[in-house]
Amino acid sequence: MNTQQVPSSLRNLLGDVFEIEPEEVTPDLSVGTIENWDSFRHLQAILAIEGEYGVQFDPQRIPELTSVAVLLAELEKKGAVL
Amino acid sequence: MEHESERQSLRQSIKTSIEQKSAVSAIRDARRLVYISSKAVDVMFCASAFGRVSDAIHAQVGARKLKAFVVRSVTVEPIVPFISVEGVLSNYLLEIRMGGFGSYADELLNPNSALAEFKPDVVMIVLDLEEIAGRLPELCGDGIGAGVGAEIEECVSRIDRLLKGFRGLNDARIVLQGLVMPDRSSLGDVADANVGNSLTYAVSRLNDGLAAVCRSIPDCVFFNVDQIAARFGRARFRDARMFLASRLAVSQEAFRVYARGLVRSMSALFRAPRKVLCTDLDNTLWGGVLGEDGAGGIITGSSFPGNCYLSYQTYLKELSSRGILLAIVSKNNEEDVQEAFRVRAGDLAIDLNSFVARKINWDDKSQSLRSLAEELSVGLDSFVLVDDNPVECEAVRQQHPEVAVIEVPVEEPWNLVEVLGEQDFFDAPVVTIEDANRGKDYKAQAQRAQVAASARSRDEFLGSLGIVCTFQTAMEAPLARAVQLLAKTNQFNLTTRRRSAGDVERFASADGGQAVVVRVRDRFGDVGAVGMALAQNRGEACYIDSLLLSCRVIGRGIETALLAHVAEQAQQNGATRLVGEFIATKKNAPCARFYLDHGFVKRSSTSADDADSVYYELDLAESKLSTPNWITLEGETSHEYAAGTVFST
Repeated sequence: MNTQQVPSSLRNLLGDVFEIEPEEVTPDLSVGTIENWDSFRHLQAILAIEGEYGVQFDPQRIPELTSVAVLLAELEKKGAVL
Repeated sequence: MEHESERQSLRQSIKTSIEQKSAVSAIRDARRLVYISSKAVDVMFCASAFGRVSDAIHAQVGARKLKAFVVRSVTVEPIVPFISVEGVLSNYLLEIRMGGFGSYADELLNPNSALAEFKPDVVMIVLDLEEIAGRLPELCGDGIGAGVGAEIEECVSRIDRLLKGFRGLNDARIVLQGLVMPDRSSLGDVADANVGNSLTYAVSRLNDGLAAVCRSIPDCVFFNVDQIAARFGRARFRDARMFLASRLAVSQEAFRVYARGLVRSMSALFRAPRKVLCTDLDNTLWGGVLGEDGAGGIITGSSFPGNCYLSYQTYLKELSSRGILLAIVSKNNEEDVQEAFRVRAGDLAIDLNSFVARKINWDDKSQSLRSLAEELSVGLDSFVLVDDNPVECEAVRQQHPEVAVIEVPVEEPWNLVEVLGEQDFFDAPVVTIEDANRGKDYKAQAQRAQVAASARSRDEFLGSLGIVCTFQTAMEAPLARAVQLLAKTNQFNLTTRRRSAGDVERFASADGGQAVVVRVRDRFGDVGAVGMALAQNRGEACYIDSLLLSCRVIGRGIETALLAHVAEQAQQNGATRLVGEFIATKKNAPCARFYLDHGFVKRSSTSADDADSVYYELDLAESKLSTPNWITLEGETSHEYAAGTVFST
């Protein structure tokens, strides 16, 4: 996979949350691949995504949304316009 | 999106500022960015940017570094970037450390806790209803509420013991967050509002109790989070889903207002309020232009739109009643203004006497402000200017960046009071009697000036004032006033150490320690507690840690009386030498020669770690230090004011 598959709005958003360059946001970016993606940044990322795309995740799903690919899939399922 | 292009360009210019380590422009752009953008990521972006240039922020804008420890029972972490950013925008660099969930009692009371080891400047206590009074919802459930009162008392006294216990161990300033009013209890809205012991009513009493606890503890402020929530909308402020899933009590859209409220409460513990509000007249204090519309044509009074200005006038009167000095700065003719106040007195909520000074002329306003600052002996950084003219506002911002400038929303005069109310520059956790009397003091000052003008010599003038000084230990005088003096006094302040209430108590209670407050009155009025000194005997010498006097009473020998009093006490405590210390600041030049003028000798050696301090020494056996003969001393006999000392010279 390459960065082209992550929409730029999500790349910018996660770049801000994890303090990395948007170009570094690839689908395989996940908890464990970068130090900054810890449990609290995870919550920040989720909240920011919800605010940005006007969606709400099921709280039980939130702990499982731990990679960009999974997040993208979940957003698609919610019908979010990225 | 309306602001998208501005948002992008602000982010770009913040990035550039960060690369160039330019804190001033980064902060300016960040302020604008978080104002126009509601996106959480923009705040995180700013937090991250500020984090990278924190040294530059400290060096270039003098932001105060503070270590803040958050004691909590709820999730606060996602809000931390918001608190950091609001901190920087209020000129603080916060290093924020989180406590564990539910371990708050240990953190506060165990002298070896993570909190104690962190050595925080401020502790923020964020507990939820479940933690503070978990049984209340159930007790209130039936609406009859047997035992609710007792439960509230018990909970308040538990928090009281907790905070007093902490205060016994630690000097860190305290922000205690209250509770957000509950919404939609099982009683339903009607019973909730009508039965005596609904949860709403109980939580409101609980908040009152917690606020009272904060008033009883030095350096402690109550953060009424419910006020923030109510203003924002309580339903939008809370987030049931995230609270139940992650114990995050505040909704993301409210992070900013919450963080701003928290920082604003904290700030009142570290910063003295501004002292002077200067108001323009035309299209500010009243509608219209006096020079064009005439006294009869200006807009003010009880009907719209005059009542917009009337509410601003009333607001000013309220500020004045708690000691904010009011002044007029206006381009007008003095006679026209006097006529307007006379002819329209019935339509104005304020009269000319409410203003302690006025600059009504055709000078530029920067010049008027500068001369007002001199006249009132108040630094420009304690000034607020309210003016409708954007050009003059900008000119003042450029020439005197330390002045807070509020531009009147000319098209929406009904919003002026709201715009002023949003500002934190008049925030004060306590209001003292001295504050309430300040306006009168300045008028008495004017009368003194008249006497001075007619007196033949300085001594005759001072003798005619009939000055009486009373010395009290800081523990007898209201402690709040002592700490306020330490926080606010700039010009006649030898070391400008912003000591806390805890510090003052330590000087007062230590063996060989002194914490003296001087109260002053004369035949024109009682100016109250206006000066203080902190000193400590160590061996043969007594070291003066702090000595300061409100600028309103400088030059009447009161400073000498205070020093003589400290010397006297030091000697009684066994000292043979008195050591004074001077630390130069931008503002305290008026007292640079204070110790030299009182016969002290400059000490040559200074150690490297207090390079800013200059020390002066006085041999108490040979000293001729005494109270000037035009001052009468009053005080308890236990203070042993020997008549000889009092009336010598």
